[in-house]
Amino acid sequence: MGAPAFQRTLTLAVLSTPSSGAPSAHHSTPQRTLPCGIQGSLELRGPLHLLSPVLSLLGLAKSHLPKEEVKVQRGTMGSMFRSEEVVLVQLFLPTSAAYTCVSQLGELGLVEFRDLNASVSAFQRRFVGDVRRCEELEKTFLFLQEEVRRAGQVLSRPEGRLPAPPPRDLLRIQEETDRLAQELRDVRGNQQSLQVQLHQLRLHAAVLGQGHSPPLAAAHADGPSERIPLLQPPGGPHQDLRVNFVAGAVEPSKAAALERLLWRACRGFLIASFRETEQQLEDPVTGEPSTWMTFLISYWGEQIGQKIRKITDCFHCHIFPYAEHEEGRLAALQQVQQQSHELQEVLGETERFLSQVLARVQQLLPPWQVQIRKMKAVYLALNQCSVSATHKCLIAEGWCAARDLPTLQQALQDSSSEAGVSAVVHRIPCRDMPPTLIRTNCFTASFQGIVDAYGVGRYQEVNPAPYTIITFPFLFAVMFGDVGHGLLMFLFALAMVLTENQPAVKSAQNEIWQTFFSGRYLLLLMGLFSVYTGFIYNECFSRATAIFSSGWSVAAMATQSDWSDAFLAQHPLLALDPNVSGVFLGPYPFGIDPIWSLAVNHLSFLNSFKMKMSVILGVTHMTFGVVLGVFNHVHFGQWHRLLLETLPELVFLLGLFGYLVFLIVYKWLQDYAARAASAPSILIHFINMFLFSHSPTNQPLFHGQEAVQSALVILALVMVPVLLLGTPLFLHWRHRSRSQRGPAGRQPDEDKSGILDSSDASVAGWGPDEEKAGCPEDGEEAEFVLSEVLMHQAIHTIEFCLGCISNTASYLRLWALSLAHAQLSEVLWAMVMRSGLGLGRKLGVAAVALVPIFAAFAVLTVAILLVMEGLSAFLHALRLHWVEFQNKFYSGTGYKLSPFTFASEEG
Amino acid sequence: MLEGAEFYFNVDHGYLEGLVRGCKASLLTQQDYINLVQCETLEDVKIHLQTTDYGNFLANQTNPLTVSKIDTEMRKKLCREFEYFRNHSLEPLSTFFTYMTCSYMIDNVILLMNGALQKKSVKEILVKCHPLGRFTEMEAVNIAETPSDLFNAVLVETPLAPFFQDCMSENTLDELNIELLRNKLYKSYLEAFYKFCKNHGDVTAEIMCPILEFEADRRAFIITLNSFGTELSKDDRETLYPTCGKLYPEGLRLLAQAEDFDQMRRVADHYGVYKPLFEAVGDGSGGKTLEDVFYEREVQMNVLAFNRQFHYGVFYAYTKLKEQEMRNIVWIAECISQRHRTKINSYIPIL
Repeated sequence: MGAPAFQRTLTLAVLSTPSSGAPSAHHSTPQRTLPCGIQGSLELRGPLHLLSPVLSLLGLAKSHLPKEEVKVQRGTMGSMFRSEEVVLVQLFLPTSAAYTCVSQLGELGLVEFRDLNASVSAFQRRFVGDVRRCEELEKTFLFLQEEVRRAGQVLSRPEGRLPAPPPRDLLRIQEETDRLAQELRDVRGNQQSLQVQLHQLRLHAAVLGQGHSPPLAAAHADGPSERIPLLQPPGGPHQDLRVNFVAGAVEPSKAAALERLLWRACRGFLIASFRETEQQLEDPVTGEPSTWMTFLISYWGEQIGQKIRKITDCFHCHIFPYAEHEEGRLAALQQVQQQSHELQEVLGETERFLSQVLARVQQLLPPWQVQIRKMKAVYLALNQCSVSATHKCLIAEGWCAARDLPTLQQALQDSSSEAGVSAVVHRIPCRDMPPTLIRTNCFTASFQGIVDAYGVGRYQEVNPAPYTIITFPFLFAVMFGDVGHGLLMFLFALAMVLTENQPAVKSAQNEIWQTFFSGRYLLLLMGLFSVYTGFIYNECFSRATAIFSSGWSVAAMATQSDWSDAFLAQHPLLALDPNVSGVFLGPYPFGIDPIWSLAVNHLSFLNSFKMKMSVILGVTHMTFGVVLGVFNHVHFGQWHRLLLETLPELVFLLGLFGYLVFLIVYKWLQDYAARAASAPSILIHFINMFLFSHSPTNQPLFHGQEAVQSALVILALVMVPVLLLGTPLFLHWRHRSRSQRGPAGRQPDEDKSGILDSSDASVAGWGPDEEKAGCPEDGEEAEFVLSEVLMHQAIHTIEFCLGCISNTASYLRLWALSLAHAQLSEVLWAMVMRSGLGLGRKLGVAAVALVPIFAAFAVLTVAILLVMEGLSAFLHALRLHWVEFQNKFYSGTGYKLSPFTFASEEG
Repeated sequence: MLEGAEFYFNVDHGYLEGLVRGCKASLLTQQDYINLVQCETLEDVKIHLQTTDYGNFLANQTNPLTVSKIDTEMRKKLCREFEYFRNHSLEPLSTFFTYMTCSYMIDNVILLMNGALQKKSVKEILVKCHPLGRFTEMEAVNIAETPSDLFNAVLVETPLAPFFQDCMSENTLDELNIELLRNKLYKSYLEAFYKFCKNHGDVTAEIMCPILEFEADRRAFIITLNSFGTELSKDDRETLYPTCGKLYPEGLRLLAQAEDFDQMRRVADHYGVYKPLFEAVGDGSGGKTLEDVFYEREVQMNVLAFNRQFHYGVFYAYTKLKEQEMRNIVWIAECISQRHRTKINSYIPIL
């Protein structure tokens, strides 16, 4: 989605540099610059490049474009304002061309297919055989991939565009894959059996070379009774008591169990000695080096021998022949070593061949994998189509943006031209709610993401995302106002934005990093706005800056009121009186006067300011939300709601809280410096307004205030029943008058709106009225239940009226959070930096100490003030948008258009 | 265990309990069974199972697919899950797991001894052994000639050793004696398991004891049923009955005297739990077999075990339910592969 918009904006940037040009030049320039998505951005990387997404969004530079392009531009604008028009289309795909058509659609990603065979289970569908073949193939691929991985090599990612292969290629690929797999299996099998042999030989060598010479020595461990027969030399007088040997190797983990079992089963008629091999041997199956235990068992008697063999069998021991005499053993050892040497050569040869086969696999496999994945996706999509009665074509249904219909038509025509019969697409009327499609670019995506996280908008509902672009960073910044912190955040985001095209940055896998990266434009604006609010609050790392000279003059105060030395010595706190002429020269030009940072009543001054500011921002934000609802009502043709819902809501909100805002602003504009003691309290006034009372100590702000207040409260209260009963009664009345006209009179216009002009009727069909009436399926047919509508409206009314109060209070979090942020940074400065700076008068000491102190300050600033406070401010801004702003107009009950695309197959 | 174990149950076993509950949610649903029954070939079964939590567990099987391959792979899957539970468990849950594996170990030992008796190769029989009951010394059982031999040489170190207390004898191992050995082992195993759960107390005891009581009684019934018309004397028969069930002691004594199915049914009539089960059994043609009825009852009890929290019974119940599910799938698969569709619906539904 991002790419086309991005290219367009680049074009725009190029176009806007020459002030005017011939129309022909306009046409040629875009064509040249279109593919410059990557190269072009190198030249244009500048402020313009950064702003270009913003420009495109605001529709600036629209006038530079030829007429056709303006239309497209407007389409984009519209699509951000509300979701695009999406229509249900029916595709008639000739059987011979269906595959190519769908694969082309997969490349383009235009249509979301609807499953027309929902009642048919997966294995009864038409193309299940092909899907199965693809799966078989994927299984073989998996085997090949695993083999490559085992060989310690990696598969490269396929390059270039790989379209889904034509169906006849499947056979070829399958044959080749099978041949490769077979070859690989053979070679691997050979290699494995050779390795097993080699392993055996090595074990044998280890057993022989281990020099378990001392069956005699091992006997020391056992009791003396066993020693007696052992002392007889082998081959001595007791021929029948000859000592026999079983030699072999066993895995070390089983050795102890084997030894115990041997002992228990044979009751000491044997002597076993176990030893670990000195060298590690590679396991032929897993390839991991491991040591083995070699053992030598000497025993008497045949029966015991059989038992021992059984036991060693069950422990999967390797048993080797063991010559009785030293010379025999040596000869055997030499022979074994000889054999293993030869075997190693053969093995090397096999491995060379194996690597050749693997190289071929490495070359062929990646493109095949992508192709077969695509092919499988195409067949799965085809499985959702139904077959026409004549079996000549497949019928598919899907959602498609109305704007993309020509592209769709063209694509279908192109891909079905070979078959002779062309595929057809046409709109069909539909009563289901279409999916929501809002195209975004890299800039708007993160803001749309914020909105979508709450809920995907209903079809064609007003989309809050464009306003979120400004209000979200702004509300964040109100809570995060600090020039220094904002600048750091801005620079961090700027670095991400500038490096966004670098592959290393793009492909980073770290999840936390990805979160930040995908919100880089959001962070950029948040940082920028924080700098702005930081200037308003006049705070930079909690320090005030005096850009302009302060509006207060201490000198004037000192000369006017004769502060003597004694007076100064007695009074640690001095008050500046604005009534004294020359002390207050006028308001500071921008933001808070820096002199307040020295004042003791700094906090109470700021609190009053920030609290009022929060209320003003909140009421404005909410009013804006209610006004946005107007666009919904107009678009869905529900004119009655304009009068019966939006108007009462506005009157209620503005009459009560709008008036409060008015009071605040009015009082700000008055100068109460001279009569500060008798200045009216807005709070008391506002409380009295609801009580219809009057407190004599509280002076009115303006003449006739009480009358205005009473009128407003009564007006607001009158609005409540209007809001409560208006819509239900109107709907009831409309329903009654319709049913009186009778079904015959209703039929034609329903037909007209319902079927012929599907788009409009369908739009009207999903208005919330029908939802409220409890019949989302078929508005006309279902019963109109007054009580249900009344119930819904009552809930809405209560929610709105109470919400106005609680939401306004909720906006006070702006004040609270900004206070917390300011205080935290103040504390950090006072506790760390100030103590560091006041450390010593000597230059050397301070310089050395300041290094760790500044380090601590920097780390704490980033960790606590930027990350922690930033997250909390983000969270609260999010809440203000989701709860306080969006519930005024946004239902968020839609679902996203997810077109059939190969994007995941290519990855 | 102390009272109020639920307060710190999760410290040691919370993760595993969560896991097993998640696993239980992945059991096939009624809808899955309906779809499975409609399958035409084993390939269809495989495709359908792919859409469930079994995933592509058959992906690496070479064609043609057979029922036994499906069975083996399902067992392997269960075994993997079980091993995971077991490797992550702490005492006393790990002892509980050991008790659970014991029944499979007994079966495997008996299977191997029977195989040795019929002079079959060990490898051939090893394939048939249940993977849950595997242990290292298992393959060595064929060196033993008498039960005491078996105990002294092979099984003394395994968890099965304590169950041998009652069955040490110098009889040679012929087929009847092996069968007796199995039942005696099972008897002492069940009794020991029951005692373990009882001593553990708490919810575990409340859940596990009824299940094990039922298991014991079921064995008693089945032993009785199978001993009709054999040379097993009534006294011998009585020694085989596990004594931890609800039937103990009067019911068992009556069962020992039973001579045919009707007498057995009369014994069961004395017990409210077993009366309806025996009433549900069909007579010969059609209807359910006693075995099926018992399975259904078992499934019911195991499903109910999931209604309580903070106990070990869920692990036992999950394993048993999974086994039942595997039996069902195997049954359906057998019916499909043998084109014997009339009986395909008589699997045991898991509620």
